[in-house]
Amino acid sequence: MTEQEINNFEKTQGQLSSLHEEISALAKKSPSDSLNKFKLRFVNKTITEANHLLGAKYKPFDDFDQFDDVEVPSNSDVNLILGQYLNCLEKMRSDNIQQDSNRRWVWVIDNKNTSNIRTAAPKKLEAK
Amino acid sequence: MAIIRPRLTDYYGIPLRQEDLDFPIPFLDEDIPLYVDPFLLWKSPSMMDNALHTSIIGSFNNLGRLYIDGEENQAIQTLIALTECEEVGLGNSKTRVGKKIGEAAANEILNLFRVIPQIKAEGFSHFEEIQLLIDGISKDRVCDISCSLIKSFLIDYSMQQCQKLGIPTEKVPISLFDYRSQQFISEDTSLPINPYNNKPILLTPKRWLRFSPWINYEDYFSNHYIKDVEKHFADRKNRVEILEFNRHNYGLVASYTEARKRDVGECKNDPLFSQIPVLSARRKWNTIKKLPTGKDGNADKQYEDLMVQLLSSMLYPHLDFADAQSRTESGLQIRDVIFYNNRSYDFLQDIYDSFDCRQLVIELKNVHELEREHINQLNRYMTEQFGKFGVIFTRNRMPKNIYQNTIDLWAGQRRCIIILDDSDLESMVEVYESKQRNPIEFIKRTYVQFTRDCPA
Repeated sequence: MTEQEINNFEKTQGQLSSLHEEISALAKKSPSDSLNKFKLRFVNKTITEANHLLGAKYKPFDDFDQFDDVEVPSNSDVNLILGQYLNCLEKMRSDNIQQDSNRRWVWVIDNKNTSNIRTAAPKKLEAK
Repeated sequence: MAIIRPRLTDYYGIPLRQEDLDFPIPFLDEDIPLYVDPFLLWKSPSMMDNALHTSIIGSFNNLGRLYIDGEENQAIQTLIALTECEEVGLGNSKTRVGKKIGEAAANEILNLFRVIPQIKAEGFSHFEEIQLLIDGISKDRVCDISCSLIKSFLIDYSMQQCQKLGIPTEKVPISLFDYRSQQFISEDTSLPINPYNNKPILLTPKRWLRFSPWINYEDYFSNHYIKDVEKHFADRKNRVEILEFNRHNYGLVASYTEARKRDVGECKNDPLFSQIPVLSARRKWNTIKKLPTGKDGNADKQYEDLMVQLLSSMLYPHLDFADAQSRTESGLQIRDVIFYNNRSYDFLQDIYDSFDCRQLVIELKNVHELEREHINQLNRYMTEQFGKFGVIFTRNRMPKNIYQNTIDLWAGQRRCIIILDDSDLESMVEVYESKQRNPIEFIKRTYVQFTRDCPA
């Protein structure tokens, strides 16, 4: 990943995570209710950005690009997909970070050099 | 082309939503069940409305003055002519034709100017008080007299609205009350014409309409009269006696009018259609959910009644409810909900263009499983105004062969029947409650899914 891509990645992951948090709350309250057009527009915009970053290798479903507004997706549908995207973004991040000599987690630039852009430990490790 | 419960705009193919208009769209073969309440003109913040109220009262009192001054016959004939204004089409007539009052009743009304000293001296300040003084005079007469006295304004208003909305008009002679000469004259004006009887139609602003006038007998009797008077009498009096009592005790009527004036803040115009509250929609859905399929215990009738109320509210204002009607086919009673297709939504425009759907028919089927015959029944019904588009609401997801049947129908005859079930209805109720989406979007969703599955 380039430095620019890392920037975009962090922005998109942050946005998706915040959307996921918001829509989780809605889905908990009324799972079968539908997401309004305003929210869906931004969900789709962020998912499109994530698709661009993830590429075919990391994209969660090859036949899903974004929500169709006509389908009137429910809160729980959107929540499910956002969760999938967050996991795939995390997988991509885990594959592109490593520890530097001070055992700090940093991004790897262009698949070879460790950068000085610090990041968090992979979620799976954190869980352990 | 025969339309179910035709309205002026639908007849001319002008797609307008009732919600967006300043006047109720007149029906062509029946009246709108609302009445002009002169009190709304009096309380209106618009100076024009207040001035119109003043002119109504002025003209009405002038009739009384004529009567007292010996021009009894002229006053009576003018009042009789004022008591019907069928061009506005308000009231409860099923034919748009009303009857004027008789000479005796007109004489009785005008005699109030003689027998009640306060009225003789000052005239009426709210002439709808005649409902509390004369038997047989109610909201329809108050409405007709008001409309007749300001018909000149209503003509201008109708012409202006027709011009703005593109409603066709024709040059037609109309009889109207002339404020300056205080007499009826005939004028040639350009007004929309009822194609059913070639009579002119007048439009009325929504802001003047109520189901019953603010000053009315029922309210007077239950909220004013009983408290102040009847407690002094042991026996309950009948209406005629109460009216007689009122004529001899006009002070009580005047105090009622004053009380109503004080409550003016609560006096609002009534909408032609009110959506059911969200809670009521939820309750109706819960009842539908528990209803068994079939006819046991009148379940089918209950399902249909609940669905009519739910759908007419949930699809408003995108679709204006036209009628719920029953038809019999092969000995079976079939219930439809019919909406005017006002093309106010992209999907509605699409079905108008593609299937010539002027009125949307929704058929209700409280059956466990939809069968081919159900599709055929609707298909046979889809003629003329409904075009080639229909909707079925049923209880459970349809079998695959039935869906294929509808696809084949489209492939063979370019007719579109879409089928929604309880799960779609639940989603519609959910968004009706949350307001996150429009319930009509679920009909659109089913339609889009259907068109995607149709052969290219």
